Amino acid sequence: MNAPVLEVSGLRAYYRTSAFGIRREVRAVDDVDLRIEAGEIYGLAGESSCGKTTLIKTIANAIQPPLEVLAGSVVFNFRDRRIDMHGASREELRDIRWKRLSYIMQGSMNVLNPVRRVRHAFVDFAFRHIGRSKAEFLDLVRAHLRRLHLEPDVLDAYPHQLSGGMRQRVTIALATVCRPEFIIADEPTTALDVVVQKGVLAMIHAVQRELGSSVIFVTHDMAVHANLTDRLGIMYGGRLVEEGRTADVFRRPRHPYTAHLIASLPRLGDAAPKEGLTGAPPNLADPPAGCRFHPRCPLASDICRREAPPMTELAAGHRAACFHSDRVSPP
Amino acid sequence: MGRIFIDLLRLNRQFAAGVVLLSLVTLFALLSFVSPYPPNDSYVVPPDLPPSWSNLMGTTSRGQDLFWLLTFAIRNTLLFGITVAVISRILALVIGLVAGYSGGLVDRALMSINDTFIVIPLFPILVLFYFVMKDHMSWGLLALMMACLGWAYDARLIRSVALSLRTREFTETGIFSGMSMRRILVEEHLPYVLPIVFSTTMNNINWSIGFEVTLSVLGFTDINTPTVGVLIYWANQHTALVAGIWWWIFFPVLLVILTFIGLFLLAVSMNEHIDPRSRLGRSEG
Repeated sequence: MNAPVLEVSGLRAYYRTSAFGIRREVRAVDDVDLRIEAGEIYGLAGESSCGKTTLIKTIANAIQPPLEVLAGSVVFNFRDRRIDMHGASREELRDIRWKRLSYIMQGSMNVLNPVRRVRHAFVDFAFRHIGRSKAEFLDLVRAHLRRLHLEPDVLDAYPHQLSGGMRQRVTIALATVCRPEFIIADEPTTALDVVVQKGVLAMIHAVQRELGSSVIFVTHDMAVHANLTDRLGIMYGGRLVEEGRTADVFRRPRHPYTAHLIASLPRLGDAAPKEGLTGAPPNLADPPAGCRFHPRCPLASDICRREAPPMTELAAGHRAACFHSDRVSPP
Repeated sequence: MGRIFIDLLRLNRQFAAGVVLLSLVTLFALLSFVSPYPPNDSYVVPPDLPPSWSNLMGTTSRGQDLFWLLTFAIRNTLLFGITVAVISRILALVIGLVAGYSGGLVDRALMSINDTFIVIPLFPILVLFYFVMKDHMSWGLLALMMACLGWAYDARLIRSVALSLRTREFTETGIFSGMSMRRILVEEHLPYVLPIVFSTTMNNINWSIGFEVTLSVLGFTDINTPTVGVLIYWANQHTALVAGIWWWIFFPVLLVILTFIGLFLLAVSMNEHIDPRSRLGRSEG
């Protein structure tokens, strides 16, 4: 077996601010380990403010103060080179970006500059990474758009002339035009209605199959994960709490938080009212001691309040961080 | 761009009025190129003649034909305003965009310089400048000085827009894809702030012309280059009002007022055009 495309180990990234003599430290990503194999779609789920976006920003090294990486490493093994994202020089990073690693940002409908035509977005972001003449490049872009069932005419439109779904597709086309080996997608389907969502998901899937790229796909929508991803990681309070093949996670969740996430999905024929979790997500500036989920966990016991549970492998390729993983009831 | 211009002319009466006024003034200034008299010659016509068909705006006490003299004066005044506006726009754009984009220490340093220029009382500085330069004072030097004093408000305005642009996704994507700061500023941010800059440019021309006229009337500029202010200065020197030569004051003042109104209307209508809500309200209503 080849080395995984992406290895993240012991990653810790905090937002550190200091204003008027008060220091604050928001532990947005704490001790995250994960590996992504070539050609895999890895889903990342969790509620808002659990550190999903921070994690992938750190992975892509698109970090800006006050976000700081305190520990851990992010290593990409591309086809012909290995690169440590936080040790690499700016030139190295510039070299791999877009060409090997592309990033569909959150709110990606706004990636297109509202006062410039769509064509300029392609030229600005991708042109220099391809290294061809302008005419060749635009031909390439048109061919790529056609492959994704988009009219090449969109190049001459302004972003506001396109619908939300169209803009989203254009953004995905923009992120994949250089045929990257790794695609990071942060909530690309949020704010779209389900019909458009389906089209966008199909498009991501098709691109992924065609290029053989690996994808990290972030969304809080569990239904999307069930449909699209090969493996699934669940985050809670800045930590990865469960990880496994998507089918396994859905069939037999090993963390009570995952179980609740899955139970919240509506099902045909299920008339029972849905119960929400009590409480609110933890304040990451002052997270609870021990397991970060314990204040809201129905299974919590003394040990959960004292110690943080380690990530342990419970079945082949299925890890969870819970002391009571055997007591988690399957949905 | 051409279509926007035609739409504005058709739908926005203020814009149309502004364009007509400024075209008239510009046309008048262009007449200076066919003037029969050089601007600094005196006693080429009989002095103190009231407006008539042979001397449309009358003649001055120095024996100059006011109509032709005024074409030179308004040309210099307009050029002065445009020069100040162009130089100060460049300063404001560079400083505003860089400060807004960089943030942090760069922003604070640039903005403290900026705020210094905002609070400096301009008039005493310019008068002092005249007394220091005295005989070396020239039209270009004053324009440069005004440009150095006139960028601060707009730099702040541009910075405030740039601050918000910096956090937009297209900026982040640009950074991620490895665009340099210069390219992001020029290709992504500049098109965004240009309409604002266009509107403030009109105001800036107005402001600099106003200042130039004020300084000239008081004699604190190079009084040998005819500008509208210098014309009024000479009229005062010759006590034109007391002597009943009212046209020597009236026509320069009229012309500068028309210029002001034209620029002001353009600035107002551009402001309205930039705000999409009022633009839509106008084109639908």
